[in-house]
Amino acid sequence: MSEKTKTEMDVTQDIAKLPALGRRLMFLDKRSTVDRLVYVLYAACALLFVLDFLYKKKTYFEIEYVPGFYAVYGFFTCVALVVCAKAIRVFLKRDETYYAPKDVEGEDYPADQLEKVRHDT
Amino acid sequence: MTPELVPTAFLFVAGAILLGILPQGRLRAALLLLVPVLAALQVWTLPAGNLVSVQAFGLDLEPMRVDNLSRVFGLIFCLAAFLGNLYAWHVRDTIQQIAALIYAGSAIGAVFAGDLITLFLWWEGTAIASVFLIWARRTEGAYHTGMRYLMIQVGSGVLLLAGAALYHQETGRLTFEAMTLGSPATWAIFLAFGIKCAFPLLHNWLQDSYPAATVTGTVILSAFTTKLAVYALARGFAGTEFLIYIGATMALFPIFYAVIENDLRRVLAYLLNSQLGFMVVGIGIGTELALNGTAAHAFASVLYKALLFMTVGAVMFRTGTAKGSELGGLYRTMPLTLIFCVVGAASISSFPLFSGFTSKSLILSAAGHAQYNWIWLILVFASAGAFLLSGIKIPYFAFFAQDSGKRPKEAPTHMLLAMGLTAALCIGIGVFPDRLYALLPYEVEYHPYTTGHVITQFQLLFFSALAFTVLMRKGYYPPQLNSVNLDFDWTYRKALPLVIGWLRWAISSIWGAATGLGLTALNALVLRIYHSHGPEGRMAHVWPTGSMVLWIAILLGVVLIVNFAS
Repeated sequence: MSEKTKTEMDVTQDIAKLPALGRRLMFLDKRSTVDRLVYVLYAACALLFVLDFLYKKKTYFEIEYVPGFYAVYGFFTCVALVVCAKAIRVFLKRDETYYAPKDVEGEDYPADQLEKVRHDT
Repeated sequence: MTPELVPTAFLFVAGAILLGILPQGRLRAALLLLVPVLAALQVWTLPAGNLVSVQAFGLDLEPMRVDNLSRVFGLIFCLAAFLGNLYAWHVRDTIQQIAALIYAGSAIGAVFAGDLITLFLWWEGTAIASVFLIWARRTEGAYHTGMRYLMIQVGSGVLLLAGAALYHQETGRLTFEAMTLGSPATWAIFLAFGIKCAFPLLHNWLQDSYPAATVTGTVILSAFTTKLAVYALARGFAGTEFLIYIGATMALFPIFYAVIENDLRRVLAYLLNSQLGFMVVGIGIGTELALNGTAAHAFASVLYKALLFMTVGAVMFRTGTAKGSELGGLYRTMPLTLIFCVVGAASISSFPLFSGFTSKSLILSAAGHAQYNWIWLILVFASAGAFLLSGIKIPYFAFFAQDSGKRPKEAPTHMLLAMGLTAALCIGIGVFPDRLYALLPYEVEYHPYTTGHVITQFQLLFFSALAFTVLMRKGYYPPQLNSVNLDFDWTYRKALPLVIGWLRWAISSIWGAATGLGLTALNALVLRIYHSHGPEGRMAHVWPTGSMVLWIAILLGVVLIVNFAS
């Protein structure tokens, strides 16, 4: 918990130093903005679904004539994808050192090949 | 043939030699940019045809076959080499610099190869040059990964050579041309291409090696090997129906792994595999529209994949990790990288006005034209999945999600420049698709921006986003965990060593038992002889002078007879 509050303090101190573009994006931090964005997404989805009735379709397959086919198909395949992936993870998940004690998973990236710079320095 | 024409690949080789002479620094980095530009100019201006023929080892080699198919791949490889080298402007590691040049040159050489022997030589060239981009990480894990990578890649080359030899025996030709699957020769060649193209069950080298390479190495790796294989398949096996099913499997299965994978570079590697599936389906359908789709999608995907690997690489360059579990909240300090990442993500997810939309839809339409219902459904699924994963997962877990407290500086200028250029190209292809279509092998009229296509595509994408949002908010989306997931490489990284270990134990115990028995008998015999003939033995009590005399007499007799006879 203390770790988290420390990060939050860091953030507030740093705000002035952040790049201008980053500061502009800070509104994404607020829970209310995220909620609003989600409502926008719901509205966009609803609108797109309705739009499907408003134009003449020219398709390759009969199934494409079903109103909202792409919407329903996209939604349910994505849910199925995540559900199945979550299920297979139970069987496939192993420790990072499973294959060898020194594997690229477990070892650090050599620091001399990086240029780690903290933003405020 | 014009004698002054140098095959494009040799420009890269010459560049690599010159690179060794130049001092390390900006001059070298500039040379790394200059070579692809010169090469691209050459490819752009060359006329079509077999421009060079060489006689070697009694074979007619054609190292420079230019036509519409090889030109588009040659151009994108030059472009990828330029962008990758710009991204790697800061690298001062001679090995990586030379490897990058030779690797790009080999890929281009293979694309322009008009015969199987030239193809084989450059094919192996890509394998050997590229492994140094993995080893350049200089860790134990990367060394072992590089070894596995090299074995598989060189193995693919050996298969290709074997196939070429059989093909020559069968047909008397070595031309790299359209083939039909059937004979052992064509199967060997097909399999060699399939390994590099990361066919299902032959794919693990890709997910194994790309996350292990250096920050800049992965960007360069992502462009060449697999697209070279796509080119080779399009050249050799267009219209092979089997490829449609292989491609659909390839498009589908990797995305499941991408959901649970933690290392964002490996997520991208799985998605790259899935994108290759689309191209392979296009080759399998084999109509002009489909092959155009494959070429266009290869072109577009080289760019957006490079862009995505660049952005994740930039994050890694600044934070030291590409793991979703350790990242998050970087948008504050790396906003430009975030924007480029979103552009790459929009391109791979085929958002209208981005490159994937104008290239992938060619393949989907071709599948529709040919009435492959199930294949088409799978491709649409894979399309939605690609958006869910690279469109949402990568930007979300790297730049948003839970704040990791990391406040890295924005990526260095040359990286931003490389990412910006690539992003501009991705948008350019999306907005002006006709420019790309003009480069394609066949002349096909295609209009991606129809009302129906745009609306249905937006439906697919927005409802996939809705699925992600709902799952995330309900807390059902699987969290990013520090782990590895078993894939088919388990067979050769775990099971095979186990089996070999067991066999070694079994053989050594049988051998031990057998030799043990023999040794006991031998020991007993030696003991018995020692007992009678040893210094304390009965036979040692008297000097065997008599027997010595007898033996000398026999020897003398033999010598006499031999002398007499000769």
